[in-house]
Amino acid sequence: MANLHIDNVHKSFGDTHILKGINMDIADGEFIILVGPSGCGKSTLMNCIAGLEQATTGRIIIEDEDVTEAMPKDRDIAMVFQSYALYPNMNVWKNIAFGLEIRKMPKDEIASTVERVADLLQIRPLLKRKPSQLSGGQRQRVAMGRALARDPKIFLFDEPLSNLDAKLRVEMRTEIKKLHQRLKTTIVYVTHDQIEAMTLANRIAVMKDGMIQQFGSPQEVYDEPVNLFVAGFMGSPSMNFIRCKVMEHQGEAHIRMEVDGKDYNLPIPKQEQAVRQRIGQTVILGIRPEQITHVIPQQDAGPNMASVDGKIIVTEPTGADTLTLIRMNDQEVNCRVHPREAKEPGETMTFMINMDKAIFFDPETEDRII
Amino acid sequence: MTVKHSERRYSEVTGRAVLYAILIIVAIYYLIPLAIMISTSFRDMNDIRFGHLIDLPSSLSLEAWRMAWSEVQIGARRQLGLRPYFINSLLITIPAVTISVIVGALNGYVLSFWRFKGSNIFFALLLFGCFLPFQAILLPQATVLGKIGLSGTIPGLILTHVVYGVAFTTLFYRNYYVSLPGELVKAAQLDGAGFWRIFWRIILPLSTPITVVAVIWQFTQIWNDFLFGVAFSSPRSQPVTVGLNNMVNSSTGEVRYNVDMAGAIIAALPTLAVYIIAGKYFVRGLTAGSVKG
Repeated sequence: MANLHIDNVHKSFGDTHILKGINMDIADGEFIILVGPSGCGKSTLMNCIAGLEQATTGRIIIEDEDVTEAMPKDRDIAMVFQSYALYPNMNVWKNIAFGLEIRKMPKDEIASTVERVADLLQIRPLLKRKPSQLSGGQRQRVAMGRALARDPKIFLFDEPLSNLDAKLRVEMRTEIKKLHQRLKTTIVYVTHDQIEAMTLANRIAVMKDGMIQQFGSPQEVYDEPVNLFVAGFMGSPSMNFIRCKVMEHQGEAHIRMEVDGKDYNLPIPKQEQAVRQRIGQTVILGIRPEQITHVIPQQDAGPNMASVDGKIIVTEPTGADTLTLIRMNDQEVNCRVHPREAKEPGETMTFMINMDKAIFFDPETEDRII
Repeated sequence: MTVKHSERRYSEVTGRAVLYAILIIVAIYYLIPLAIMISTSFRDMNDIRFGHLIDLPSSLSLEAWRMAWSEVQIGARRQLGLRPYFINSLLITIPAVTISVIVGALNGYVLSFWRFKGSNIFFALLLFGCFLPFQAILLPQATVLGKIGLSGTIPGLILTHVVYGVAFTTLFYRNYYVSLPGELVKAAQLDGAGFWRIFWRIILPLSTPITVVAVIWQFTQIWNDFLFGVAFSSPRSQPVTVGLNNMVNSSTGEVRYNVDMAGAIIAALPTLAVYIIAGKYFVRGLTAGSVKG
């Protein structure tokens, strides 16, 4: 249980700069998710927090104590690895007890701790088995048990669920969330699964190229992405990006959009002042698939609602919704419609666009226009 | 259909038969010299003198074995037989194998999990040692042994074998350890274990298969070595390979084939034993699958 303060941390290997100034303030008990593509530096950042790698410059402070130079064992951090890293030569009991033995915990206390953790994770029947005799899900539990037994200040999870099959992954995700609600220990959790990120996090840090692009609540990151990268990374299917021009129409700035040979003027919400001033310029309109749907009566009357007629290229039924591909400004656009309303490929249907949720990016800097 | 099916079945069986036939022939080809050695070592000299050179013993005689082990006069040495040489070989081989395997395991551990600046260059340079021919280091090593006062001694020979063998054992262990997940060491570090504890408690218990390989390799190399044994020894520290050579070459009068054969088998027995004992563990280590993370 501790807060974690990462202060301008840089990490370089020779001429390769992996981390380029990471700043994070993590409160006691927060569940932080680091997401980003492979090679963005999230695992390096974890290693720096754990002390497995030394930060080149910058400071890492745990519970108001500067641990930048401290050895991993003195930081009181437990980590769950992607490969679980269970000791193959020890049975489950010994795997969990190893860290406690080293810390010279009395024998009876070790026994009660191992049993408590085993009950918590429902692995008591497995205690005598070797890791090679466990299934993937069981190994994952043991790895968590090993971390839990130590009762550390901070938990680090390095893609702990990525080796599990889809069903088990969802189950374990829920369990981790329950566990966090119960233990209230600070957690830093790396994943590249953005559904995991959305469901688990108190706050998400989106990383790219060794820098944090955005650090905020899941809803903030989803609804108000600061740049094209964050917008494209979070959400599945990802946000549509459509290059288009800001034009004046009836004395107001509009987005000019061509759909199957017909021009439409889409409204720009009042709050997007900066975009409304860019008349004549090209911008990138970012709009999530769920904001382009079939026409829903009573909802299509708002000031920032627009509708277009589009010819369907492909449909992908997912059960709950049907993803429908159309073309706008000659670029493919995913729309999410109710399965009953979806038409067949080749047919034309009317789509309702909620421009209130639209986000605009500068095509040069790729940052959000504000 | 049925005809074709059975044809294919027979062709498979024939293939097997041919394969086994070849294997058996090759095995016999390699085993015949050994069989002749064993058979000759149990014959007595009269039998050899008046019968064929290659023949089964008419009576089992252990005379030649006793002669080779403790009675034959080798060179001008006061102690008789191969026994003192055999003991020298044990005194050289056991410490040299132990030390070179331990040092190799430690080197491999450091080079795999505790990389330092220049560790790759260090490893590459070490690998040169594997390609160095024995002859190339004879003179320099003789100088070194002379300078540190170990020429002609058993510790001198141990040192030479350790230095030469560490290149190989390091290579074995390093290549084995890089296949172990590095996260094991990270996990142990976070659990609070240090350099030595990780080595003893985590890494070494996983090293059985490669340790068996390293021990077999080192034992065979050092036990069978002749060149270092003859170059860096004095009469008091000569290993069994040198003793055997001297025994065969220094006999006066007739060649006592039975004694020579018995001596050769005595000199080869320990390596055979190591293969038989350790080979079993080797296979067990490979099949246990305990290394899979």
